[in-house]
Amino acid sequence: MVSGGIGWVVAVNLIIWTGLFLYLLRLGKRLRELEKDS
Amino acid sequence: MKKLLAWLLWLWISLVIVGAFLYAPLAKGFLGESSRILFFHVPMAWASFIGFIAAAVWSGRYLFGRRDPRHDRAAAVAIELGLVFGVFATVTGALWARIMWGAYWNWDPRQISILISLLFYGAYLALRAAVDDRETRGRLSAAYALLGLVVTPFLFWIMPRITYSLHPEPVINAQGKVEMEARMSQVLYASGIGFTALFFWIHNLQCRIQALFDRRAAL
Repeated sequence: MVSGGIGWVVAVNLIIWTGLFLYLLRLGKRLRELEKDS
Repeated sequence: MKKLLAWLLWLWISLVIVGAFLYAPLAKGFLGESSRILFFHVPMAWASFIGFIAAAVWSGRYLFGRRDPRHDRAAAVAIELGLVFGVFATVTGALWARIMWGAYWNWDPRQISILISLLFYGAYLALRAAVDDRETRGRLSAAYALLGLVVTPFLFWIMPRITYSLHPEPVINAQGKVEMEARMSQVLYASGIGFTALFFWIHNLQCRIQALFDRRAAL
């Protein structure tokens, strides 16, 4: 059983990492579009 | 394919996060859960080191090669990212120091050496910002970053080992051995690989952004 405190820390870390990851993924997609245009 | 690799990295680092808190045991002699910061602090310092060394290599290629602006750009971006990871390593180290030593900053040799590295590479950015001519800027900053091949290993590996420090023993100790519980070292190495991959992914994106800026500025 995961203790409440550590469970929250894991959840917060995963949310931050997923947010950063999705931002980078979107940035890469936008860059590909800009590179095609220029 | 690239997207698949990116998602694999997401999975890898997610597993590292879960492993750091739920799989790896606590280190002996550390207060509370504080030892878990190791799984993020050390890989961040490692990514910073990789950035500074990679910058020196790209600078060498620029200086002794065909003066390709891509190499100059790659070196500058590697140093910027090395600084970002270095600041994160310093902050996570300071948070840990507050718990274990009672103060965020203790002028420990490890803290001093990372501070000097950050100042050294901060000066690199100041140097770049001070020179307008692209060719001169590239040449001067490449020569400066090449010094990093001597300065960075000294500050990261040698200086903290030749002076007395409160800092926990390095991952690879003075005898050249890794004395760590197996599950801890598994998570630590996995984290190191994950952060290195993340470093090069962000580096690639930032270099492409800079290339677009440069292309537009030339129009």
